[in-house]
Amino acid sequence: MSERAKNYVIAVVLVALAAFLAVLVGTSETTEDRVERIGSSIKCPVCQGEAIADSPATMATDMMALIEERVDQGATDEEIIDELLSSFSGAVLLDPPAEGLTLALWLAPLGALILGVVVVAWWRAHPGDEDEDAAPAKKADPRSRKLVGGLIIVGGFAGIVVLAAVLLQEPASPAGGAAALSEIDLAGTSNETMEAVIAANADNPQINGMRLALAERYYEAGDYRAAFPHYLAVAESAGSSDAEATTALIRLGWMAFDGNGEVDAALTLFDQALQISPGSDAALYLKSRVLWCGAGDYDAAAASLEAILEDDAIDPTTAATVGADLEAVLAGEPCQ
Amino acid sequence: MLLSLLGTAGIAAGLAGAILLVYQSAGAARSDATPVALRPATRLLLSGAVVAMFALELALLTNDFSISYVANHHASTTPFPFNVASAWGALEGSIVLWGLVLAGFTWMVLTHYEKTPDRLGAGALAVMGVIAIFFFGLMITVANPFEVCIEAAQQSCAVSSSWPLSPIDAPAEGAGPNPLLQNHILMAVHPPMLYVGYVGLSVPFSYAISALALRVPGPLWLRRSHRSTLVAWSFLTIGIVLGGWWAYEVLSWGGYWAWDPVENASLMPWLVATAFLHSAIVQQRRNMLQAWNFVLVISAFSLTILGTFLTRSGTINSVHSFTQSAIGPALLGFLALIVIGSFILFSARSHLVSSAPRIESFVSREGSFLVNNLLLTLYAFVVLIGTVYPLLVEAFTGTQVGVGAPFYNRLAVPLTFGLLLIMGFGPITPWGSADPALIWRRTRLPSVLALAAGVAVALSVTRVGWVVLAVVLATFVIASIVGLLVEQVARRSTKTGENRAAAVRKIVGGDTAFWAGQLSHIGVVLVAVGIAFASNLAMHDTVTLSPGDTTEFAGYELIYESPFQYQEPQRLVQGARMTVLRDGAFVASMEPTANFYGGSEASGIVTPAVLSRPDGDLYLTLRDLDSTGVTLTLDTSPLIWLLWFGGITAAAGGFWALWARQRDRADRDEMEVVSV
Repeated sequence: MSERAKNYVIAVVLVALAAFLAVLVGTSETTEDRVERIGSSIKCPVCQGEAIADSPATMATDMMALIEERVDQGATDEEIIDELLSSFSGAVLLDPPAEGLTLALWLAPLGALILGVVVVAWWRAHPGDEDEDAAPAKKADPRSRKLVGGLIIVGGFAGIVVLAAVLLQEPASPAGGAAALSEIDLAGTSNETMEAVIAANADNPQINGMRLALAERYYEAGDYRAAFPHYLAVAESAGSSDAEATTALIRLGWMAFDGNGEVDAALTLFDQALQISPGSDAALYLKSRVLWCGAGDYDAAAASLEAILEDDAIDPTTAATVGADLEAVLAGEPCQ
Repeated sequence: MLLSLLGTAGIAAGLAGAILLVYQSAGAARSDATPVALRPATRLLLSGAVVAMFALELALLTNDFSISYVANHHASTTPFPFNVASAWGALEGSIVLWGLVLAGFTWMVLTHYEKTPDRLGAGALAVMGVIAIFFFGLMITVANPFEVCIEAAQQSCAVSSSWPLSPIDAPAEGAGPNPLLQNHILMAVHPPMLYVGYVGLSVPFSYAISALALRVPGPLWLRRSHRSTLVAWSFLTIGIVLGGWWAYEVLSWGGYWAWDPVENASLMPWLVATAFLHSAIVQQRRNMLQAWNFVLVISAFSLTILGTFLTRSGTINSVHSFTQSAIGPALLGFLALIVIGSFILFSARSHLVSSAPRIESFVSREGSFLVNNLLLTLYAFVVLIGTVYPLLVEAFTGTQVGVGAPFYNRLAVPLTFGLLLIMGFGPITPWGSADPALIWRRTRLPSVLALAAGVAVALSVTRVGWVVLAVVLATFVIASIVGLLVEQVARRSTKTGENRAAAVRKIVGGDTAFWAGQLSHIGVVLVAVGIAFASNLAMHDTVTLSPGDTTEFAGYELIYESPFQYQEPQRLVQGARMTVLRDGAFVASMEPTANFYGGSEASGIVTPAVLSRPDGDLYLTLRDLDSTGVTLTLDTSPLIWLLWFGGITAAAGGFWALWARQRDRADRDEMEVVSV
């Protein structure tokens, strides 16, 4: 076989192999790969610089389970990431988006690449004097050119710093890429999503804030049945803050009375709330309503209302409402 | 007190030696007069450093808790070799090690100077002396390892004084080293390796600064510093690989590299030093890239100081930043001095180095070196900006910006594949202007083999794109190198009639530096394949088992036999005894543990159990253990041994080149006496 023919054969073999390989590799990503990929782009909130895919922390494994669930449900990558970032404070995207604060991160390597190519091209077009020892006096030119180049680089850096400083002056918005995520913003999150997140993190005390927020939504919508298990979980969780537990107990108490007419259960729950947060206006007020309207115990109702008014820090509107109720109770009027 | 006195005296002697060295060698560099005897000053520097290290080790080995460093970082129960390694396990001691290594390299420069006493060598010694003044100055001021304890606390020192004769109040027992650092033997060797790498780069830097200051920008400074650069590069390579290995064996998340700022701090100088090793060849062979070599070597050394700053100042929260200290501003100031001073000097001398002959063609060895340099420096830049940018943003705005593995992988993976590709083409491409037909002839067979290997892997192992691509490129590189050797051997044995083995010896022996470089290339290629497999094909699971339970994972059968617990002097060890079967046959007994060092951490330091087999590792980590059962995470790391093996191979290439250089040194020294 001639050299030429051999070359052709090799070229054909190469193309065939490359095409075959491309077909083989071109198969799609598995669910597991996708879960792993999404998980590796989110920083574990309770670890130091580890992605949730790499961290053994309970919270991280819970979050991974949530990702898997959402992937199975057919959610897009963006949806899943947005949900996680908004549900877990401290979760930061490790894959900085090419926008806002982190735009520079992506532009800088690109700029460096372009600069490198330009310098090489320029060097090829304008080689220096090949004779090193020739007339040093003439070399003033490249030197000043270097200085100008240096100044441009320094100026460019200064520009970036100024630009960054200006950009940073703007308050960080939650939507702004790498903005601080220390505040949980659940406004845009659906009840279903929150349910899913909570279900996946049932054992995690850090989920209580979200659980309470979801329960409040149901409560305000009058859906006591949906709100009940969440309030109960928050009230029973050892990881709840005092404020969270108090709110949950008060709501449980009111729902027991308002929904089922259970006076004794309601009063017990309010007392539990008052044990955690003595002097809680909301607990005292709702307790007085139950005593007044449910138990018909006017004296105890009046005592509760008076306890609210003893608090000097009470605002005038509340004081007026409480005062009016107190007058009605003391006058022995039936509750409205 | 005695040891504190001895150590302080050592540091003072080192500092005095450094100052004397700068004074004398700066004088020697200024004139061409008779060479000055710089040995006494260098000897003072070196012996001061040795005495300081000796005093520190002796204090650790004799449990001298009157020295606050010993009280705070050592305990009488700390076993060998961790008691020895405690000398560099925390900030102050690590600076002593740094000083010792620096003194050693200064001695190396001195021996060279004594053989060829010229202004370039004297100037380099002066720069080394300045660096030594800084580090010994650190030891005597903000990072003094020999402060004595004047007010003891429970198992540590509350207040200490740098005056060795202060009245001493020593605790009866010390705090012991950071538990993570006494959990694995690799921690005893990884930092010294890394430090030899870091500090070794100060030698080419010193020669470069000396060459610029003395207006002799020719290739002589490269030849003089080549040996140190090779030493530094080889040790840096080993240090990085061992660091990854340590993380894998100790940190219990099944990984070896997290793009942690401290890891990045060691990778950046490595990348730039690698670029420098290549571009130095171009200057020596083709007299090109003169200015570029100065930029690279200044950057490489600056990055080592930046790395020290990141590691040792507590600027970043990471497992490596055990300490917070006034040393941060000092290191940052020194870094600024180095960067600004060097580049001012460089621009003042740029008219001397700006000349560069035109490159004939990009299709040439020098062209491929150029591409390699572009990719490596871009790589280093990506790592630099990814490491520093979040720190800057957080420092100035308090906003947390996440820059993690996805960012680096997105940029580093393509760059790595680009480097692998050029690694296949570069070595087979001749200097000057290469004939495309020759390149085709040398790469066609490797290309076929590479794609065939890719198809084989895709059919039998995995279709994950990155893995297949890594195999294709790795095969291409190795086949190109082997092909080149085969071609040259065939040519030689037809010409001379030697047998093949003799021809191989002659060819490799005739250009050892080149073939040693190719060995390093093969090492890097193996690392790439190891990373591709381990990171893309790993399996992961979490199981909870009661005693006697069996679970299946990755083709293994795991039986939880029983929990166990035992007390060692420095720690309490709890663990789960697991039996591993494959196809019903016993493979191994594995014991993932949690170690309790009696410190603040309630949950203990988890130590994974690793079973290494040719197809990869089985990696068990204890998550929870009580009387009812055990929770374990199970991981596989396919072919991860290629990563360690490849890393060691790459470093071996460096050492081979060093050895060959040593062998040929006699001839070279004769050549060098001529100039300057």
